[in-house]
Amino acid sequence: MPGEVDTDEYEDVWVFIEQHDGEAAKVSWELLAKGRELADEKGERLIALVMGEEVSHLADEAITRGADEVLVVEDPIFEPYLPGPYGEQFRILVEERKPDIVLIGGSHTGRDFAGRVAVPTYAGLTADCTELEIEPDTHLLLAKRPTFGGDAMATIKCVDHRPQMATVRPGVFDAAEPDPDREGEVVEIECGVDESSVHSRMIERVVGDITDITDAEVIVAGGFGTDGNFGPIEDLAEVLGGEVAATREAVEEGWIEAARQVGQTGKTVKPDLYIAAGISGAIQHLEGMNDSQTIVAINDDPNAPIFDDADYGIVGDMFEILPALTEAVRARKEGEA
Amino acid sequence: MTETPNYDDKFDAIVVGAGLAGSAAALTMAQKDLEVLVIERGNFPGAKNVFGGTMYTRRVRELTGEDFDDAPVERFVGEKQFSLLSETDETAISMRPGEWHEDHHNDTYTVLRGDFDEWFAEQAEEAGATVITQTTVTDLVRDEDGTIVGVETDRPDGSIRAPVVVLAEGGNSLISEAADLKETDARDEVAIGVKEVRKYGRETIQERFGLGEDDGAAYHYFGKGACGNAVGGGFIYTNKRTLAIGLAYTISDAIQDDRKPDEVLSDFKEHPAVAPLVKGGRVVEYSAKAIPEGGASAVPDLAHDGAVIVGDAASLVLNNGIHLEGTNMAVESGYLAGEAVAEAVEAGRTDADALQGYPDRLEDSYVLKNLENYDWFGDFAHGEKDFLFNVLPEVTAEAEKEFFRQDYEPKETHASRAKSMVIRAMGGWTGAAKKAWKYRKLLQ
Amino acid sequence: MSQEWNIVVGVKQVPDADDVSIDPDTGTLNRSDAEAVLNKPDYNAIEAALKLKEEVGGTVTAVTMGPPFAKAVLETAVGLGADDGVLLTDRAFGGSDTWPTSLALAAIAEELDADVVIAGEESTDSSTGQVPPGIAAHNDWSQLTYVEDLEPRPEDDELVAIRDIEGGHEKVAASLPVVVAVGFGMNEPRVAGLHRKIFSETEFEPKEYSASDLGIEESVGLAASPTSVGGMDTADPVERKRKMVDSVDDLVEALESEGAI
Repeated sequence: MPGEVDTDEYEDVWVFIEQHDGEAAKVSWELLAKGRELADEKGERLIALVMGEEVSHLADEAITRGADEVLVVEDPIFEPYLPGPYGEQFRILVEERKPDIVLIGGSHTGRDFAGRVAVPTYAGLTADCTELEIEPDTHLLLAKRPTFGGDAMATIKCVDHRPQMATVRPGVFDAAEPDPDREGEVVEIECGVDESSVHSRMIERVVGDITDITDAEVIVAGGFGTDGNFGPIEDLAEVLGGEVAATREAVEEGWIEAARQVGQTGKTVKPDLYIAAGISGAIQHLEGMNDSQTIVAINDDPNAPIFDDADYGIVGDMFEILPALTEAVRARKEGEA
Repeated sequence: MTETPNYDDKFDAIVVGAGLAGSAAALTMAQKDLEVLVIERGNFPGAKNVFGGTMYTRRVRELTGEDFDDAPVERFVGEKQFSLLSETDETAISMRPGEWHEDHHNDTYTVLRGDFDEWFAEQAEEAGATVITQTTVTDLVRDEDGTIVGVETDRPDGSIRAPVVVLAEGGNSLISEAADLKETDARDEVAIGVKEVRKYGRETIQERFGLGEDDGAAYHYFGKGACGNAVGGGFIYTNKRTLAIGLAYTISDAIQDDRKPDEVLSDFKEHPAVAPLVKGGRVVEYSAKAIPEGGASAVPDLAHDGAVIVGDAASLVLNNGIHLEGTNMAVESGYLAGEAVAEAVEAGRTDADALQGYPDRLEDSYVLKNLENYDWFGDFAHGEKDFLFNVLPEVTAEAEKEFFRQDYEPKETHASRAKSMVIRAMGGWTGAAKKAWKYRKLLQ
Repeated sequence: MSQEWNIVVGVKQVPDADDVSIDPDTGTLNRSDAEAVLNKPDYNAIEAALKLKEEVGGTVTAVTMGPPFAKAVLETAVGLGADDGVLLTDRAFGGSDTWPTSLALAAIAEELDADVVIAGEESTDSSTGQVPPGIAAHNDWSQLTYVEDLEPRPEDDELVAIRDIEGGHEKVAASLPVVVAVGFGMNEPRVAGLHRKIFSETEFEPKEYSASDLGIEESVGLAASPTSVGGMDTADPVERKRKMVDSVDDLVEALESEGAI
C-alpha cells in the first residue's frame, strides 16, 4: 500500500495547543484531557505541541493540564497563524518523532492546516470527531464523527498508516483542570521553517469580545420565528443567568453575532437547560444542542419538528410566552430571596 | 463564457409540463422526429403529480413497446370491489375475472406517480425530447396577431419561441386560464382528492387482501360512510408495499361539510368495514389535489393558433362513480395531439385550423365519446345526491339485514318486509317507476 | 504575465441531504431514496468563481471526480455559467478517501494550469472539509479556507480573502496559485438562464480524464486511502420526554420539579 509504515515505530499521543497572540484556544485543553485518557489507555506518553512567538507559559500550563512533555517552537514566523509555516513545522516534527496519534482542535485554524500535515506525511486524517476511543484488540484509534448532517455516525480507522490524525469538534470534551503539582518536560525545538513555506500574509486579524456560549449552563436560543426581535430572549436569559444563542438562519439574517450560533456549522453546547424559541428544529441545529440535559421548545406551529426532540413543549406565541416565563421565574427567585 | 446558443424556434414544439399528457405528447412527437422541449416545474417529472390510483396503460404500452416491461408499475389489478357504505354497514360486490390475471392484465395497474412519470418522461428523452426541470412556465408569448409563438419562464433570459405550444399543465391550469384559453372551473366542476399512502410491507398487504406477489386490488366506496353527504367516493388501492387510501368529492359539497377533508378521510378510515384493511402502517405520503370533473361541457377549445391543450388542463377526466379515469385520457390526448402537431409541422402551418386534427381525433376517440356519454352524470348525481349517497346505502343495509335475519319468523315475511323497505325508500311503486326511468341512462 | 485567471471549481455529486433519512423500521441510513444532486455549498463556490471571472477575466472550469452520471453536476455548473467541465472518472478512483481524492484534484488543477481553485466549505455527506487543504498540500500551493469574501488583486498575482474565524475574521493575501474553500452561504448563487440550461443539458459534453491520464493510477482508490470506514451507525437519539404543556405555569412547575430552574 502506498504510504504504508511499520506502525510499531510510532508512539505517543500528540495534542496541538492552538494559540493566538499567547492566548490558548479552549479546545486545546479539552483535547489535552481526552488525549490524557487515550494515552493512559494505550500506555503511551501525552505530548503537547505549541508554536508561536512567546508561548513558554502555555507549555507550563499544558503540563499542569496533563502533558508529559511539551514541544515548544518559538519564532516570529508563527505569529500570526498561517497554514504554511504551521503545516510545515508540524510535518517536520511528525516525520522526526513519529507520533502514533495526533489530535488537533477542529477550529477554523485546526481544520485549515491539519491537511497540510496529513498529506505530506501520508497520515490518516478524520475530521470533526465527536467521539474518540481505543479499539480493544487492535489498539487502533476509533475516530467517530457525524455524517449525512447528523443522521449517522461513522467510525473511521487508520490501519496501516501513521500518525492517526483527528480534528476534534470544540465543546464536545471537557477541559482538564490544571494540577499545579504535575511535572513534565518542556523541550525547546529550533524553528525549521523559512520564508519558502509562507505562501500568504496576514493583512489584519480582528477578534472581538469572543462570546463563548459553550460553557453556559442555561441557554435561551432564538430562531427564524423571532423575526429579529431577541429582546424577550435576552430578558429570559438574564433572569435565568444564562446565555443567548441562535440558529444559523438568525445569524444569516444578521440579527445576532455568529459566535452565538448553535448547530452543525456553529457551536456545540450541552447546558443543563436549553430553551428553543421560534426554532423549527432542523437536524443541523439539533446536532449542536441535543446533548442538553433538558430541552424546552416554544413554537406557534404545533407541527414543528422540534417538539419531537424536546422534553417539554408549548405551542403559542413566543412573544407572549417568553415574557410570562421571565416574570414567573423572576417571581420565584424573588420569593426565594 | 462560452457562447450560449439561442434556442428560439430550434424546437418544433414546447410542451408545458412533464406529466402523463405532456410526456405522451413529447414521446409521440419525438418518435416522429420532431425536436421537442418539455418544461417541467418540479424537481423531476412526477414530483408534483397526484392521483389515486390505478392507471389504464394500454396506450403507454403501445407507445413504449418492449420498454414497457421496465415500467415501474406496482401491482396489476386482479380484483375490483365496489362498496356501498352507510355509517356503519357495508354492501359490496367484488369481481375477480381470471383474464385479469393474465397478460396484459386488462392494462390496469396501480402506480406511484413519482416513479412512473419519471420513467415515462425518460422514454420521451430516449426518443430525443429535451426535458428541462425546475423551470416554471409563467406565460405564453404571442405575436401581434395573437398567435401563440412561445412561452415565458421564471428563469433569466427565460423566454423561448417555438411554432407550437402543447399545454399539459394539469388541473391547476393557470397559464391556460390567464391566456383566456379556458375558464376557471366552477366549484361544482372540481373535486378535491385527498389521499394517504401508508407503508405496511408486502406480507401484510398480501395477507389482508388475499394477494400474490404481483396482483393487486382496487376497492371503491360510496355513500355516507365514505365521504358524508358529498358526491364522490373513497378508494383503497394496493401497491407493492403500501396502500393508497383516499377520497375524492366535489368541492361545493366539501365546503358544506363541517369537517375538513383530512377529517373526512380520518372518519372513512375508521369505518368498521374499512378499518381492518387500513389499520397500522406508517404514513409515507399525504397529498391533495384538485380533480376536474366538469365532464364534456367543461372541455375548452382544444386547438388555438400555435397551441393545443391536453390532459387535466383540458378537463379530460371521467368520473361517473363507476369509472374513474384521467391518466389514460391524459396519455391518449397527449398522443393524439402529438400526432396532429407532427402533421401540422410537416405541412408547415401551425394555426388553429392546421391543429384541428387534434380535436377531431379526440372526438373520434373514446376520450370525448365517454365524456359526452356521461355528460349528464354530474348534474344527475348532484340532483340525486340524497338518494344515492344517503338513502341507498342505508336502505340496502337495512333490507339485507331484514332479508337474512335469523329468528323464528318465516323467510317470506322477511323477504316481504325487505322489499317494502326498498320500495318505500324509493317513494312507493310510482316513485320506483320514476326512478327506474330516471336511472335508465346508467344502464346505457 | 497575463492578468486573466484560469479558475477551477471543484464540485461534488452527493445524495440530496434533505432526502437522506433513517429508516424507522430497520434503523439504517436510507440513501437510496435520495436523488443525486450538486452539493449545496458548491453553489456558493460556483458563484464565487463566476464573480471572480467577471472581475478579472479568464475562464471557469468545473471539475468533479465521480462515476459517469456525475456529469450532471458539471452540467449544472456550466448551466450557471462555467465555460467548461472536466470529469475525472475511473474505476480506479473508487473507495478513495480525502488523500487520493485531493491528489486527483490537485493533478487536474496542475494540468489545467489553474491560478485559483475554488471549492465549497464541505460536502453534505461526508462533511470533512479536508479536500481543499489537501489539494493545496499536494501541490504546495497557498490556501484560504472559511472564506466569506474575495478581493482579486491580479496586478499583484494575489487573491485577498476575508476568513471567518472564531469570534472575528482575518484578512489574508495569498499568492497564486491558491486553493479557496468558501463558507456555506457566503454569497447568493445565481439562477441558470433558460437557454444556457438547455445548452448545458443537451450540447455540452465534459472532457474526461482517467487516473492514468493524470499519471496517478498507483496512488488512488481504496488501496491508497489511509483511512477506512470501520462502521456506520445511526446516531443514538437522546430519548426526549416530548411532554406538551398548556400554560407557562405548567411549564415552570415542570422545570422546577426537574431542578432545571
